Amino acid sequence: MNQEMNGVEAERPLQKIDYVFKVVVIGDSAVGKTQMLSRFAKNEFCFDSKSTIGVEFQTRTVTINGKLIKAQIWDTAGQERYRAVTSAYYRGALGAMLVYDITKRQTFDHVARWIEELRSHADNSIVIMLIGNKGDLVDQRVVHTDKCCGVCRGSGPFFLRDFKINKVVSKRSLESNNGKNNIATLKGSKIDIISGPELDITEMKEVPSCSC
Amino acid sequence: MNNNSNNNKDTSTIGILDSRFNQTLRNVQGLLKGRSIPGKILLTQRVDPIDNSGLYSPTYQRSSSYSDTGTSDRATETVEEEVHSGSKPFGITNNSKLKTSTSHAENPTEEIRKSSIGGRTTDSARVMKFTKVLSGTMVILDKLRELAWSGVPDYMRPTVWRLLLGYAPTNSDRREGVLRRKRLEYLDCVSQYYDIPDTERSDDEISMLRQIAVDCPRTVPDVAFFQQPQVQKSLERILYAWAIRHPASGYVQGINDLVTPFFVVFLSEYLEGSINNWTMSDLSSDKISNVEADCYWCLSKLLDGMQDHYTFAQPGIQRLVFKLKELVRRIDGNLFLRPVVFLQIY
Repeated sequence: MNQEMNGVEAERPLQKIDYVFKVVVIGDSAVGKTQMLSRFAKNEFCFDSKSTIGVEFQTRTVTINGKLIKAQIWDTAGQERYRAVTSAYYRGALGAMLVYDITKRQTFDHVARWIEELRSHADNSIVIMLIGNKGDLVDQRVVHTDKCCGVCRGSGPFFLRDFKINKVVSKRSLESNNGKNNIATLKGSKIDIISGPELDITEMKEVPSCSC
Repeated sequence: MNNNSNNNKDTSTIGILDSRFNQTLRNVQGLLKGRSIPGKILLTQRVDPIDNSGLYSPTYQRSSSYSDTGTSDRATETVEEEVHSGSKPFGITNNSKLKTSTSHAENPTEEIRKSSIGGRTTDSARVMKFTKVLSGTMVILDKLRELAWSGVPDYMRPTVWRLLLGYAPTNSDRREGVLRRKRLEYLDCVSQYYDIPDTERSDDEISMLRQIAVDCPRTVPDVAFFQQPQVQKSLERILYAWAIRHPASGYVQGINDLVTPFFVVFLSEYLEGSINNWTMSDLSSDKISNVEADCYWCLSKLLDGMQDHYTFAQPGIQRLVFKLKELVRRIDGNLFLRPVVFLQIY
């Protein structure tokens, strides 16, 4: 599996990849899966966000403990109808990022359903990370971290965490903070959220359990 | 092709491969024929006229001149009149047009690009042919399809698409009446299913409406026009009406992108100039509902032929991916043997 994708991607030829880690991103529609991923892979926040059809993937290569690791992250469509297609991609994934929107109660209510999906289609050893996205919309938050812990304890071996990518902003937040005029100029442009090494991963942290 | 260099010991193999390839190409073309291809052709043309104007300045001058005349004719109600009066300006522009298109004729991609930006469609001979086909009491769809394959003049496109999709009847005597009836039917559907409180909807319907509402703001996000609230409401109504009438699939993400070409083409009958300057509030509610109804029916016709792309497990898409795999295997065995993931299902 690991070598499978190398034929498709344009990889810098001189680098030798030590590991390829396959990860899937799942969760309800419009929780920000694609944004989160493009933030990680390209450090972009894109205003022209379109719904994901079926499955797409992005990669990012990072060095951890002297090993070159390629994260091959599969981004999936959130709509139920695509589940038959997307669940086929769970196979062989080492990790799953299960994303919900902290401002939309329902996206959190569906978490159990998504875990069930993973249980029936993914490998048993898969590591699941629960991500409460749009953490910047604090004033609209309806899902609180204690709820997240509840899911966490009920699910046994999973590593779960309320995760907030540093400075990821949601479109709605920009709209409310900057006013209409700014949004018009921003629309259609891609903005760089961070500059510098903030996103660099230097080591993997071992987190034994829920970190909420 | 890689394939040929590897097989050149055996020329007959190449012959077979070539003929197979051509056959496949013909099949694909055959499949596409008669189906208006949704896509960004029109959008890119309207959005980036400045970018292209350097390259195709003569084309652009011409196309703007004809679209002006076209739009002034749009007020007229009957199809025939529209076609006749609109065809005249094309004759004037013809000569320069012919030169530009023949100079690029050897390069097929250039050719496609030209036709997509309205280059070949201004050829007066072609317009005459269109006019002839469209003005008869009975439109012969095979002929129209043949003609439309290499592009349709902008102002004729709404009429041609309605006909080719089988929405407007080929018989011109019946056309107006049928369209009126179908548009009313759409309005009924909207008032019966869309304009009702959520309490009268089932849970499935509510979640479908929610999914549509989530996707409309993300439809063609790079064109400002689509961010207008009225545009998003129109899209929502069309998509919901379609979804409710097609319970086997319901609304599926991606169908929103199939409506937009229809929406832009049918609006072009009422709104002039660049899409960047279009405002929905300039239109009467009658016109908006006509456009919506036309979109709804054309979307229905388009999807009729591929509904299994959107039903559970999407067998239609899997079948097409399988065909693609077979096609690659036939025309490029080496590529096929490489570890390419077509669709990681089994």
